[in-house]
Amino acid sequence: MSALAALVRAYDRMAARNEVPPFGYSIQNIGFLISLNADGSVAGKPVDLRSGEGNKRRARPLAVPQPVKRTSGIAPNFLWDKTAYVLGVTEGDGKRTAAEHQAFVKLHREWLVGHDDEGLVALLRFLDGWLPERFDEWDWPEEMKDQNIVFVLERQRLDDVFIHDRPAARELWATLSAGSGKNAEAICLVSGEKAPVARLHPAIKGVWGAQSSGASIVSFNLDAFTSYGHEQGDNAPISEASAFAYTTALNRFLERDSGHRIQIGDASTVFWADAGAPEAAENAEDFFAGLLGIDDEKIANRGVQDTLDKIRAGCATADVLTELPEGVRFHILGLAPNAARLSVRFYLEDDFGVIARRYLKHVERLRIEPPPREAVPSMWRMLVETAVLRKSENIQPNLAGEWLRAILSDTPYPLTLLSTLIMRLRADHDVNALRVAMLKAILTKNFRMEVPVALDTACTDQGYLLGRLFALYEQAQTIALGHGVNATIKDKYYGAASAQPRKVFHLLESGSANHLSKIGKQKPGLKVNLEKRIGAIMELMEPAKDPFPASLPDRSQALFGLGYYHQRNEFFRKADKSLPEEAAA
Amino acid sequence: MAFGVRLRVSGDYACFTRPEMKVERVSYDVMTPSAARGILEAIHWKPAIKWIVEEIRVLKPIRFQSIRRNEVGAKAPVTAIRKAMRSDDLGDLSLVVEDHRQQRAATVLANVDYVISARFELTPKADGSDNPGKHLDTFNRRTRKGQCFHQPCLGTREFPARFELIEPDAPLPTPETETPDLGFGTPRDLGFMLYDIDHGGDRSSLFFRATLDRGVMKVPPPDSPEIRR
Repeated sequence: MSALAALVRAYDRMAARNEVPPFGYSIQNIGFLISLNADGSVAGKPVDLRSGEGNKRRARPLAVPQPVKRTSGIAPNFLWDKTAYVLGVTEGDGKRTAAEHQAFVKLHREWLVGHDDEGLVALLRFLDGWLPERFDEWDWPEEMKDQNIVFVLERQRLDDVFIHDRPAARELWATLSAGSGKNAEAICLVSGEKAPVARLHPAIKGVWGAQSSGASIVSFNLDAFTSYGHEQGDNAPISEASAFAYTTALNRFLERDSGHRIQIGDASTVFWADAGAPEAAENAEDFFAGLLGIDDEKIANRGVQDTLDKIRAGCATADVLTELPEGVRFHILGLAPNAARLSVRFYLEDDFGVIARRYLKHVERLRIEPPPREAVPSMWRMLVETAVLRKSENIQPNLAGEWLRAILSDTPYPLTLLSTLIMRLRADHDVNALRVAMLKAILTKNFRMEVPVALDTACTDQGYLLGRLFALYEQAQTIALGHGVNATIKDKYYGAASAQPRKVFHLLESGSANHLSKIGKQKPGLKVNLEKRIGAIMELMEPAKDPFPASLPDRSQALFGLGYYHQRNEFFRKADKSLPEEAAA
Repeated sequence: MAFGVRLRVSGDYACFTRPEMKVERVSYDVMTPSAARGILEAIHWKPAIKWIVEEIRVLKPIRFQSIRRNEVGAKAPVTAIRKAMRSDDLGDLSLVVEDHRQQRAATVLANVDYVISARFELTPKADGSDNPGKHLDTFNRRTRKGQCFHQPCLGTREFPARFELIEPDAPLPTPETETPDLGFGTPRDLGFMLYDIDHGGDRSSLFFRATLDRGVMKVPPPDSPEIRR
């Protein structure tokens, strides 16, 4: 099923539970409330609807009549709008504020005239009597400017029944919005029914990096995108009801605290579950949120932590997963902005158990000894390891989405991940647990290689051995010269050693002879120990094969990093444990 | 299957664009009937025949990949072309790529392999020299030799299709892995899929409800009520 159809179904389920506004309404952030008496006079100062402290005050989300799609023209909304339209005041220079206010008043006069509903009449009288100068005269709060405004009758204020919520207003809006549906009828590609086609779709807000006014998935904003002489929405016939439903559901999922969204690289990802029992769906959503590390509380509550700990300790996924919710369809949609449009980076739909198992398998593949410092490294934490200077804006576009898709659909990881990591290692020589874990996962998944989790003294892969050897040379240097060295051999030679061993290893070898002899003068035992270990690695190299090849392929470069990481940490581990495993070496 | 043909098409990438996501392209999961028709017509088509796709068999797991490319956002308007023809001057027809560059993302299918089962019917344009056997022979002969009028493609022109005739007496190939996403186990609902454009009428889109059952997507015949028009 397509993503849009799935979103429409999600909307239907939410509508049945009254969690989303009905057709024709949409949730908007409303800052202030103007309370009116029945005669249109203002009952006191406007009420601040925002919550929170200081600069972080957030407007209250309310269901109001669907806004018109504004681009550059002047187009007022029905029964609510921002202050420039409603009151004719704005914070900025407001060149056309007067025109905007006029349009708002004119539209409402036109539409509200002849209605005898108390609320609508009061609003009309208010607009008749209002002058923008009053704003300063009455000393209304400055911060009200440019906020969205709604109206209420004073006696209904405490019941939270706004003028646009009154039955007469709803009825009027229903006829008005139906009247605007002069659009041609066609088969809706979501529902398959004949219905008026939406020309422009409501905007989708909350995608990271997109325009704050919202962007569209379905849009034809240049003529190269149209076909067969169709215009706008006719290129992809979607009924107004379906367009409303999918955008409403998506906007709801994209809200900041909806519990349905997670930012992975540049992809704003939403997920939702579809199950007979709402509880099972909720369980699945929470479990997934916990898995991807959005919410620490959820991790603790749902036992996700236990599951992850067990996997990290080396239990097979099959043993761990016994309590996954059954019979839940799970949908994951990744969106990224592109020039006022949204592009679908990935869309996955599968049984929840299948998806969760795949993710846990991925976690299993990432297992490494010694483990990274964070207990549950999130996707974001891993992705910044691929970025220059660890800045999230430097993460390659597309990489995050491709990676998550690969994880959740159990396909090979994107190979750009491998090349990027190798490049990062060569550039900044920071061989840390997260990077090595990712390298290991790629080798395991994409090349079906057996990659050691912890130091494997029997592994004979050339890259791995060279990595270990490099770590030992570095240790010899550190012991001989102390930690005060400005540029260690790692700083100088890591890149060359991992890619073109022949160029540098003979240099390292002769250097290490000097270091070893220096160590020998003070701590002869340590020298013997190091020589033994270097010798043990040399023994594993096949004499027939060139031990120091001119170049290493990327897979071996990845193993080089892994070998280096393992050997180096072995060194640290010995330092704090007094029991050396000499016998094994 | 008197006049039926079976054609195996495969490629590294494919993009059977969903109309609702055709700007930032997202492919359908399975080849659409109109894309299959396009491939058949690339190999052999005459005004006397009309291809009717009967089913599409999916042989490889459905895998997506996303790519980003530079494209242009403008096209030459018909009016400008008319004007150029009238005045014999190509002045206004040029398109400067630098001014119209648009980056577009696409979510495409990777590594696809299908078997198209189709038949053809004679149209009113067929005359005495046309008979079904002749066109069937022509199609088979051309396919065996790898001949085509233009390179058949998998949805969009940048993804060329390899094609190969499955001989009438040869068995149908089966998917290498029988995964649930190909509809093994329970049939998979693909939602409404583009059937074709109503080229005879007002050029509106025709849709049908597609399901993938054991790797096979059945395509309803052109006059069937299953096709929403």
